[in-house]
Amino acid sequence: MKTPVIVRIFDIVGGPLCVSAEDGQRVHDKIAALLRDEQPVVLSFERVETLISAFLNAAIGQLYGEFPEDRIREMVSVQDMDEEDMAVLKRVVDNAKAYFKAPKEFDQAWKEEVGDEE
Amino acid sequence: MIHHLPTIRSNQDGYDRLAELAKATSDLMFDRLELSLSRVSFLDANMAAPLGVVLAGVADRFNTVEIVEVPEMVERILRKNGFLTQYRFEPLPDNNRTTIPYRRLQRNDEGLFEDYLQRHLKGKGMPRMSEGLGKVFKQKLFEVFQNAVIHSESELGIFVCGQWFPQKQKLDLTIADAGIGIRDRVRRHFGNDKIGSVPAIRWALQERNTTKTGGQPGGLGLKLLHEFARLNKGRIHIVSRFGFYEFNAGHESFAKLENDFPGTAVTLEVNTADTSAYCLASEVTREDIF
Repeated sequence: MKTPVIVRIFDIVGGPLCVSAEDGQRVHDKIAALLRDEQPVVLSFERVETLISAFLNAAIGQLYGEFPEDRIREMVSVQDMDEEDMAVLKRVVDNAKAYFKAPKEFDQAWKEEVGDEE
Repeated sequence: MIHHLPTIRSNQDGYDRLAELAKATSDLMFDRLELSLSRVSFLDANMAAPLGVVLAGVADRFNTVEIVEVPEMVERILRKNGFLTQYRFEPLPDNNRTTIPYRRLQRNDEGLFEDYLQRHLKGKGMPRMSEGLGKVFKQKLFEVFQNAVIHSESELGIFVCGQWFPQKQKLDLTIADAGIGIRDRVRRHFGNDKIGSVPAIRWALQERNTTKTGGQPGGLGLKLLHEFARLNKGRIHIVSRFGFYEFNAGHESFAKLENDFPGTAVTLEVNTADTSAYCLASEVTREDIF
């Protein structure tokens, strides 16, 4: 296997604030391109101060719609991440796996729901 | 026109009264609103954010807004937090440092929101909180802010305001927008314009439910907020259009407002006495993330 490339999230986003889906998308595009080249990546969260699910859904969650789970497990790892951020990332990853395995069925009942507002 | 605002508490009735103001002024255009506070015996400081939403809507229809007959105690609170300075009142210094000021931000102002939290949460009960709790609290506020950015379509911006209560060891922060509301997002998602506000909020609170499209998973933000409040023994209010939701002491309740609040407001009340070490999930290691 190739030597992993370190992807520094702080540098791609341009600061310590990882909150927007747009910034997440830019990170995603970088990671996805490397994975398509069979290049393992280490995501470094050094100097990242605020990290939320909207960013991580775009950056990492959507990879599960493009690559098999075992390939991601084999090719992607993280470093310089504190416990709270790892907990959020774990939730995002579990949510993404479930989402792509069995997308929530479009609940037909909602098409017929009638409220009493104008 | 003259409108007399009653007492505004941070609860269902407070939002009902603000929605009533929105309804009373909905046809006002190229005119003048004189908002009298003479009947206000109390106004919870964080409610300046949803009040700001309603008044921004009025001003956006080319009306002049003037706030008059403000009782001394209410004036003190609203000058300290900067709300009344938007209406030509002089600012008042916050010597006790319990204020979390009123701000109107634009949807792309994430950096300013970060500065705001950095500057105004520091020293307000935070030393008692574990470092982890302070960080997680900030994270949840960003989840709410980002929900407004992604979903609200609020052209008038995002309104924030809070208050720290050192004796009660709690801190309230409200993030409000003047957008289309959860109801309209959910209506659009299901192609059904009859869905009510309460069922829409109920749907949005369920994990993995999201109106986002385009191959991106979502539907975690509100769930994480909820888990945080449960662990912290805090409180959440979500108001969106006719819908009101409260999570308090482990109990959830929903209610329908009498009138249409023109947007969405989320209040997170954090229990600053919580000194426990904090983590939303049990031990997660680098090895078992993916």
